Amino acid sequence: MRGSIDGRPPYGLAVWAAVSIILSLMIYASPGRLAQGGSLMPMLPLITIFIWSSIRPRFMPPFVIFIVGLMQDLITGGPMGVWALAYVVALMIMRVREEDGAKREIGPIWFRFVGVVAIATFIAWCAGSLATGGPAAIRPMLVEAAATVLMFPLIGLLTIRKRSSRSGFGI
Amino acid sequence: MVFRSPSRRDQDDGVRFSRTLTATLIIISILLIIFDRPDVRPPALSAVRSTVVDVVAPLLDLAARPLRAMGNIGPYWRRQSELAQENADLRDQLNDTLYWRDLALRLRDQIEIYEQTLDLDVTASQERVGAWTLADPTGPFVQSRIIGAGAERGIRDGDPVLNVFGLVGRVVETGRRSSRVLLLTDLNSRVPVIADRTNARAILIGNNTNFPRLDYVGRDADLRDGDRIVTSGDDGVLPRGLPIGVAALDRDGQWRVRLFSDQAPVDFVWVFPHVRVLPPEADPVIEDEMEPPTGDETGTATDESIEPALTNSADDTASTTQGDAP
Repeated sequence: MRGSIDGRPPYGLAVWAAVSIILSLMIYASPGRLAQGGSLMPMLPLITIFIWSSIRPRFMPPFVIFIVGLMQDLITGGPMGVWALAYVVALMIMRVREEDGAKREIGPIWFRFVGVVAIATFIAWCAGSLATGGPAAIRPMLVEAAATVLMFPLIGLLTIRKRSSRSGFGI
Repeated sequence: MVFRSPSRRDQDDGVRFSRTLTATLIIISILLIIFDRPDVRPPALSAVRSTVVDVVAPLLDLAARPLRAMGNIGPYWRRQSELAQENADLRDQLNDTLYWRDLALRLRDQIEIYEQTLDLDVTASQERVGAWTLADPTGPFVQSRIIGAGAERGIRDGDPVLNVFGLVGRVVETGRRSSRVLLLTDLNSRVPVIADRTNARAILIGNNTNFPRLDYVGRDADLRDGDRIVTSGDDGVLPRGLPIGVAALDRDGQWRVRLFSDQAPVDFVWVFPHVRVLPPEADPVIEDEMEPPTGDETGTATDESIEPALTNSADDTASTTQGDAP
């Protein structure tokens, strides 16, 4: 992490980014229903993409976002392209911009993330409905979106340190 | 690949979405969405899907192991206090089962004799392939599982998948070492079924809820709450008689099924490789395999006797065709 501060190439961070994305996909697809109880699983890949695109945008170019979405489609068995499209468009619309001066606080970051989740969910619903030939079930998508929004601060608190860096994240 | 430390501008601008690249990715996504629908999916995309799942299967298995272990901790401690009662119940059940086992063995012998007498070619396979669930991706568009066994162990598309209680679904994508199972609850799942008690037929249709609905039930079908529902085998994909669940009438008067397989988590399953009965057009007889009937062998059929029959048959066909024509 210090590598980026003192000017050394952040190879460690790049590896960590790749590992965290793979982990998020694996955990997202993991058999949660095996543990007795509910099957509430937030969109961990989206959380990971959002955090990395804010910490190190260079690690998260659009085609990487596209590939992560595509992998999510493939692993979940859904129609290919749905989450790939949703992630690319949502992160393009809600990308971190220079004029956002309040991004050191978790509140505005969370607010921005809610926007990303809302757009991604809406696009995925539209694309999924097109792919399945009828309106997709909206309730599980809303539950998943709500779980994702609620989960974000828990993960965000581990990575975000107030005023420690201009990106708003502690890395 | 050389990384440089991020400048202030890099961090402030966020991810750079160049117009050309973004437009290209969006177009690719839309094309994939259009062409990757189950009904029009090209074989190349199917191959990509199964290959990717095959590649990630070991990683998914790795991720599933700790969860599998954690999932067993709770039930283990909860059940310690119930073990004595459970033992007594099991002993009673075992005594009952001995009677049914004897009956089953007697019936099996009888059936074998009947099959021999009727010269039936029964290809009911008793083989089964056990497999762990590697991934349980919950999505709004598809309800499926990835299991850790594939074509290498004799699994093919369409094979039924059961847990200890009943049918879970069927295999829809087969990789070398992994397969994807479409659950009965999935929107795309259609299974012809019958009620065990009356042979009333219906189609079990998944609707992304835990209680798939029974559709195309006959108007006067004799169906009751609690009737046991099993596969009918009418589709030629699943064999007849696999246990599915019990019928239940919901508040709207719609028949639904409480699945047997829901009584336990779908963590370990069996796949039953099944020899499907193909329709005649898909399984044509090769001329070389047919031996022409000879008068000597049959004792009755001769060239002279066959010819008029063929002629009559041709005439019948011609007249039927003419009659059907408007």
